[in-house]
Amino acid sequence: MAIRLINPMSETPVKVAPPPERLPTLHGKTVGLLDISKAGGSLFLDRLETLLRERFQVASVVRVMKPTFAKPAPVGIIEQLRGVDAVVEALAD
Amino acid sequence: MQRYTRKFAKSDTVLDIGQTAPPIPGLDLGNDLALIVFFETDCPTCRLAVPYLNKLALGARVIGISQDDQAATNQFTQQLATVFPVQRDSGLALSRRFDLTFVPSLFLLGSGGRVLRSHFGFDKSVLNAIAVQMHCAPVAEEFDGAPQSKPGCMSRHLEPKVEGEFAPAAAIGSARGLPASAIEVPDVEDQFEYCFRTFGDALPVIPPTLERIARMLSAVTVDRSEIIARVPPCYGEATVEKIAANAVMAGCVPEMMRVLLPLVRAVCDERLNVHGVQATTHFAAPLVIINGPIRNELGFAYRQNAFSNVARANSTLGRALQLILVNIGGARPDGIDMSTLGNPGKFCYCIAEHEEANPWEPFHVERGFQPQQSALTIFAAEAPHGVSEHTARTPEQVLKSISYALATVWTYRACLGYEALVVLAPEHARTIHRAGWIKQQARDFLFENTGVPVRAYENAPDAEGSQLVSKYKEILIDGERCYQKFRSPDSIRIMVAGGTAGKFSAVIGSWAAGPRGSEMVTYPI
Repeated sequence: MAIRLINPMSETPVKVAPPPERLPTLHGKTVGLLDISKAGGSLFLDRLETLLRERFQVASVVRVMKPTFAKPAPVGIIEQLRGVDAVVEALAD
Repeated sequence: MQRYTRKFAKSDTVLDIGQTAPPIPGLDLGNDLALIVFFETDCPTCRLAVPYLNKLALGARVIGISQDDQAATNQFTQQLATVFPVQRDSGLALSRRFDLTFVPSLFLLGSGGRVLRSHFGFDKSVLNAIAVQMHCAPVAEEFDGAPQSKPGCMSRHLEPKVEGEFAPAAAIGSARGLPASAIEVPDVEDQFEYCFRTFGDALPVIPPTLERIARMLSAVTVDRSEIIARVPPCYGEATVEKIAANAVMAGCVPEMMRVLLPLVRAVCDERLNVHGVQATTHFAAPLVIINGPIRNELGFAYRQNAFSNVARANSTLGRALQLILVNIGGARPDGIDMSTLGNPGKFCYCIAEHEEANPWEPFHVERGFQPQQSALTIFAAEAPHGVSEHTARTPEQVLKSISYALATVWTYRACLGYEALVVLAPEHARTIHRAGWIKQQARDFLFENTGVPVRAYENAPDAEGSQLVSKYKEILIDGERCYQKFRSPDSIRIMVAGGTAGKFSAVIGSWAAGPRGSEMVTYPI
């Protein structure tokens, strides 16, 4: 006889956001650089900002930093990145 | 290098206290107090706030303003069983006139629509203050599983337009979840192998059959569909039924549901930040500490082998929690849980305090509970680090040995950002107590005597912890210049556990500690 089980796994619907389309060019765009506040993140993002400005002629760069890498970004941080064309997040050490 | 940053507007709305709020179409506010609440139907914080607003609405006038369409609003009010009137903000005109930034936005209006108070986001103390201002009893209890505060979402009228399919939002905040689905395992298949392959982690589990779950549910009075918490990092709904299914798989007795329900609430308390604990590359795992009469009622081990394989209660409760975190929370050890080396505690990490061998107040009493109240504490913890001290005869000597282990928490040169749990063996506790010391003296001694010699930082500017020396406090320990390891004596927690033979204590390091990482939480059982 078949055995009936109760599903112990999450069945909560997940909201999936489709990724935005890739930018055809960075020229003239505004790029957000999100530092999650891990050690070394600023080194990486400083260099990236230089490359974005010099090699890709971005219009502007918005630099923001999470207060802690241990938690999701608070709404205020996300708000500062609203409206930029692309975001680069520096994840780890 | 030129930097561009936009300052984040801290003020919640442009409506200041004392100003007159814009009129709300079709609504006569009269001269009574009224609380206007703007919300979005898919905002988790708005959903979190509704049960409290429902409570408030029993004795005061609460008016909800939905920023979403009629269908979503109807679904929201049905799911959350709102008892206050809700109207739609058509075209978001009212949201613009109130000029809110976030939802939920609360406006307490007095006579003539004068703004008496405004707030955005969820905050229990603010809700309680508003309740008092509206001549009602407080509506938010401290230990109901919800965080003390939670930021909200961007107001709908400020959101950028997005393309793409809009999937229905999870019913975050609703009191009832969807019933768990049933799975039929064909009799040609071994049910244990099926469950091993489909659920859980790398250990076989007991199949969660309908009959076993019915027995588990017979021990609780709450409805099986009630949502106890949403488990990070994927925020799966932990309904009573789902918790029971995982408890069955872990081998819990039905009476363990008494502990499991508050445990699931506590582990999802935002102060613990299990979202980070479950996704970090660090070693941390949630350590459960049980105190009070429940220890003996359900057979928790606290004598010999307190950390290991001696009692069904510790083993199955710890295991059930881990299964819940993986199966409902989604922190799979081969996926979102990115721990570099992991922690054997991720199979099971649950101890109880040996209160009978603790010469001082029990751990949960120190955390604010009565001795006869059972309680559970959760600490984002590394594995125990043993400290042997069999020859010392004084509190100072015993604690000195422990302080050397404490100095290595996180990493030797890192100070201030971490905490530790010291699990004193009964023999060590007796040696310290026999000399007349109270627990606070022991803690203060450990604090004053745990440090890292300044010479350890010489020629090591790139080493972890060296970059922050300007923030460290220099002290003298035994005549040597040292940086003090911990921020305060409270960074060192002391409990007593283990067998009465053996002078072995343990030091357990934390994950990133404090409001920027994880804070220890204690819940009543």
